Amino acid sequence: MDNLYRERQVAQADLAAALDDALYDALPLGCYATDRTVRTLSLSRAGVLAMVTPLQPGEAWESLASRYPLFANHEREMQAMQGIDVRSSPDRRPLYFRADAIPEAVVAEGRGVSAVVVGPVHAGIIEPGRFTISTGGESVVHIDAQLSYSHRALEPWFEGQSVLALAPQVARVCGNCSVARSWAYARAIEALAGAELDAGTEYARLALAEMERIHIHLFDLGSIAAGAGYGKGTTAALELRERINQLNRVVGGHRLLFDSIVPGGIRPGTFADPGSTRAILRTIRDDAMRFVDAFLAKRSVLRRLEGAGIVEPAMARRFGAVGPSARASGIACDVRALAPYGAYREFSFTEERASAGDVFARGEVRRREIERSFDLLERALRAMEGVALPVPTELSVPEGTIATVVEGARGAESISLSVAAEGRVGRLHIISAAYRNWPLVTRAMEGNIVPDFPLVNKSFNLCYSCVDR
Amino acid sequence: MSQKSFARSLGIRHLVCGSCNGCELEMNALAAPQYDISQEGWNIVASPRHADLLTVTGPMSEAMRLAARRTLDATAEPVVVVAVGDCASGEGTWCGAGSAGAGAGQELQASVVVRGCPPSPDAIREGLRAAATLLDGRNS
Repeated sequence: MDNLYRERQVAQADLAAALDDALYDALPLGCYATDRTVRTLSLSRAGVLAMVTPLQPGEAWESLASRYPLFANHEREMQAMQGIDVRSSPDRRPLYFRADAIPEAVVAEGRGVSAVVVGPVHAGIIEPGRFTISTGGESVVHIDAQLSYSHRALEPWFEGQSVLALAPQVARVCGNCSVARSWAYARAIEALAGAELDAGTEYARLALAEMERIHIHLFDLGSIAAGAGYGKGTTAALELRERINQLNRVVGGHRLLFDSIVPGGIRPGTFADPGSTRAILRTIRDDAMRFVDAFLAKRSVLRRLEGAGIVEPAMARRFGAVGPSARASGIACDVRALAPYGAYREFSFTEERASAGDVFARGEVRRREIERSFDLLERALRAMEGVALPVPTELSVPEGTIATVVEGARGAESISLSVAAEGRVGRLHIISAAYRNWPLVTRAMEGNIVPDFPLVNKSFNLCYSCVDR
Repeated sequence: MSQKSFARSLGIRHLVCGSCNGCELEMNALAAPQYDISQEGWNIVASPRHADLLTVTGPMSEAMRLAARRTLDATAEPVVVVAVGDCASGEGTWCGAGSAGAGAGQELQASVVVRGCPPSPDAIREGLRAAATLLDGRNS
């Protein structure tokens, strides 16, 4: 079995010390509540550890956020969704709101400081958020990011529904990390059911996940080009991404690969002809690497990217940052290397990292990851040719609780699932890579110039839908 | 003087109302050279004041309802609302789920509906064309 899940009971009084201990060599994933039981999750080579802390009737939750700021939004979420009384939180504002009661932004005060508000509707084709930018002249002093505009209270709505029938909804929690989330969800169900998948299915899943990574990474690089004012780069990146989307349609039945990974298997007919897919991918790879290599070597582009939006490693660790954005600050956090799952267990994989933590480093990590993804695809599709066609596994889902983690394009995507009687959802909780990384975006901007906000923001290019849910 | 057609010059304002971002990925694809709507004179504009039509996605979230209505109110008449994707059309995965509404396009009385989860860039382009034709009729 891969990516094992363990639970350990930890009383609230002992939790901070237990966390210090666990996080010494593990990646924090966050925490969530089911009724009045809080699970604090971390990932290490040994798999996912859930520290289970039941709250007694009337017992409040003592905020961990001043010690570990990464928990701040989880705690606000537990307060909003489970009604848990959170004490000593550094941020008392409600996480979710109605349009007529938007929380007040935190604005810097002082001589010469003024604030600019943008959003929630923006000038481009992007998701809704309100940014209140406090500036002293051209320099950013503080940015308040108000998300939650896409909150639809999806998690309570999941409860009571058939775990197996819910797969298409899970695939649509967020369009940017759909394959990764579907894979994490399928693995959670399959692990509870004790199912073993055939090799063909595992190779195909890995290939689907890497196709998603390539099209999202290309999109992110194109967005960085747009933020830098390099239109040619945006156009080139979109052209390449479109070729992957068209290939997705052919090999996986959907341009964004929605529903390509399902509990117990993959969409029938996926990668029906691995040989010709490899040939097409080799052509796209040549063009993609030629573009990306040239883009990230162009002097005027480098001048814009280098030194912009620096995230220090200590900052990344404090917020439990994940994905290419964290690896650009030197953090080792690629789930494919840290706790391999599926066919990643068979393919040795070394994660890509950089150290500068600036916009360039976040682009550079993606550049190298695109190349690694093409490598992995070549190997997986070659391996598919040598094994039997994937056969779906029939699943009957017993009661139980589990958490699984998959490396999506923007980082660790985790699913926590409790199955109740008759294969119904007792609790389904999603922690997305974007949820982890949002606090970094605003902090990376401090001291930068206002016009660089689009550039720095796009170098993370985080989603909202999976964060807000 | 001949009547100018919107079909060669559209200002588009995009509203995301609880979408999963899948529709946004496909809307963004319209800028790829394979589609390149800017060649048609169509542009995503920076203010509803510059817009001839609103594209809307998602089932409608509670927190976006007011901003969506204000955006529509701020757009100069004639304006056409295009519902992009199944959720905005009222038939999508998230319509009526949790606190989500019945479809952003339904709430904002969309005149053009583009189905799909998400719709392909080609389908969205066809929807924009249909909206341009409607605008021509309403502007005379």
